[in-house]
Amino acid sequence: MIAACETGIRGIAYALPAATRSVRELAAVGALESHPSVLERFGFDRVYVAVEESPFELALRAAQRVLAAEDVDPASVGLLVYGGPPAAVALAPASRAPDAAPSVCTVARFRSPAARLQHELGLDAAAVLALDQLACTTLFGAVRVARALCAAEGIGRALCVSGEFYPALAGREALFNCTSDAACALLLERGGGRHRICGAATVTKGYYWDPTVRREEVVASYFPTAVRAIHSTLVDAGWGRDDVDWVIPHNVGVPSWQILMRLAGLERARLWTDGVAARGHALGGDNFMNLHDAVAAGSVRPGDRALLFSYGYGAHWTGLAVEV
Amino acid sequence: MRASPPFGAFHARGLVVVTGATGLLGAAVVRRWALASGGPRLAVIVRDPARWRALAARAGIPAAGIEVHEGDLLRAGLGISADARARLARRATAVVHLAADTTFSRPLAAARLVNVEGTRRLLELADDCPGVERFAFVSTAFAAGRRTGDVPESPAGAADEAVGWVNAYEQSKAEGEALVRSTRRDWLVVRPSTVVCDDTTGAVTQHNAVHQALRIFHAGMAAMIPGVEGSTLDAVPGDYAADAIARLALRPALDGATVHLCAGRGAMPLDELLDRTYALWARCAEWRRRGVSVPALGDLATWALFERTVEDTGDERLRRVTRAMTHFLPQLALPKRFATARADALLGHAAPPVRDYWTRMLAHLLDTGWRRAPAPRGAAA
Repeated sequence: MIAACETGIRGIAYALPAATRSVRELAAVGALESHPSVLERFGFDRVYVAVEESPFELALRAAQRVLAAEDVDPASVGLLVYGGPPAAVALAPASRAPDAAPSVCTVARFRSPAARLQHELGLDAAAVLALDQLACTTLFGAVRVARALCAAEGIGRALCVSGEFYPALAGREALFNCTSDAACALLLERGGGRHRICGAATVTKGYYWDPTVRREEVVASYFPTAVRAIHSTLVDAGWGRDDVDWVIPHNVGVPSWQILMRLAGLERARLWTDGVAARGHALGGDNFMNLHDAVAAGSVRPGDRALLFSYGYGAHWTGLAVEV
Repeated sequence: MRASPPFGAFHARGLVVVTGATGLLGAAVVRRWALASGGPRLAVIVRDPARWRALAARAGIPAAGIEVHEGDLLRAGLGISADARARLARRATAVVHLAADTTFSRPLAAARLVNVEGTRRLLELADDCPGVERFAFVSTAFAAGRRTGDVPESPAGAADEAVGWVNAYEQSKAEGEALVRSTRRDWLVVRPSTVVCDDTTGAVTQHNAVHQALRIFHAGMAAMIPGVEGSTLDAVPGDYAADAIARLALRPALDGATVHLCAGRGAMPLDELLDRTYALWARCAEWRRRGVSVPALGDLATWALFERTVEDTGDERLRRVTRAMTHFLPQLALPKRFATARADALLGHAAPPVRDYWTRMLAHLLDTGWRRAPAPRGAAA
């Protein structure tokens, strides 16, 4: 068994592309399915769109930032968990991602963004793992793996990095949510005092693996399964609903979160929604980006109890209870 | 077996005028009277006599002795000829009004056309009949609208404008009740709960909003439903309601009475209902592996926010699902208990508890793929 509160998130950093687009601008180029006024009513305003950046480049930038900010010797990191697209997409600029597709037919498919990250960051002592197919819950999955390995193998520090993009030609909407390209890096530390991980839970329902076929069923299953995952997270943390000071969301529509808060009985907690308008739903891990910003803004204070919850296509519902 | 008196204690000695004889309850009530030894003479007012005859044949109603008058609640004078009206006026001793527009999603003005104005036209006919000594109005328990808590078997059990209703059907039936009470002294108001199956075997020959909602749940398309602690589902089998109406509608000494035909204490708690329902469905391995969740429960404010958000998405399929549920499911977040002491005393028994037949009804829906069961001979269509 892994003891609760054994591992903490010592540092969080993220990287965003240079370009932004408003919801209206995205609609004008046909990148949205819904009318822009719908997305605006749901709280979306601007999103970050990669053009010349590659997922790897942003992931590297986010990882470098967290290592620098925490002044950590790269050689002290014992584990790197990378979550992001495979080489064909990760290593090419967003604007040219489709051209990279033929590379999957050659040995080039084994070019490893995770290993390259280890090399370029100088994480010479770090074992490398990569996660895939967890969509917007990738960073939660990375934390889960890192937390478990820290406890099981005595690893002192782990770096979790996620970078996720929509290729330039792709749409920018996922089920009424407007998305950003981004990367986020977390430095986990065993016995760390900051952002202690007190509980976690994940529910995966493979029946919904294809959201193009089961779109309405995915929408219907979202709320009840989210309530279940949140409840399991609180149970794992030993918290009651009233113990939650802050809910740090994934940046889906604000009304959706207002509904979920009520269904989960979290009316007493505050919901940090500043990230929704600022950058929309960042697939690379917006819960952690929001936690970073909420702490930096002084909204979330040391000692506060924060619940992070996200949903990822596939379909995965996951929560994390963190004492800041 | 039933301890209450049979249909022998008839209030009416002449001719009983019945509306709604082609409906689920109406046909079952008429059948009981028509088959009863010493039953009343009946005159049915129906929009389509051919449909009535076909239904009567199918349901085993001995129609030969029943007068049929073509008429329509929407037409002036009910659309009945002056001659026929005069003949009814000479002989009618009771009017039993079962006809209603039971569509929950109608706008109020449309619901009132049948349930209020149609009732008014029938009251005018009754006024023309000097021998009428009973006007029985079959309403609905959900005339109680948005009331919560104990609902008495009295006029006060109906909601008013201040309390409000969940849908126009409920409101129009409450208004119909008020109209009947204000017009006659010999009124009897009977308020059945939602009829969810024919009898305690669970067979369903007429689907309604409850069955439609269950189909949505089974398909895994329900994200949330209104529901709070203490919520229950009150429902009755059709044979209980029909039997009760047949026994009470013409019974003497009930002038000015309001009677609930409801499960009352036998209503099923919502959490138990959902547990039983999903447990039954989960017996099917294929369904179980889909991981369909029990819908999340939220209060009315949460439901309203959910509904508004779905509307905002502009997604037609999601809208259709939500709209299909919104005209009655909010009742689940308005916990109430219908008093049934008067009905129980008059009938000599209570309605069967919902849990006694709920699982059988679900099994029937599953077995038939939510298609109507063919009406067996002798049953109401």
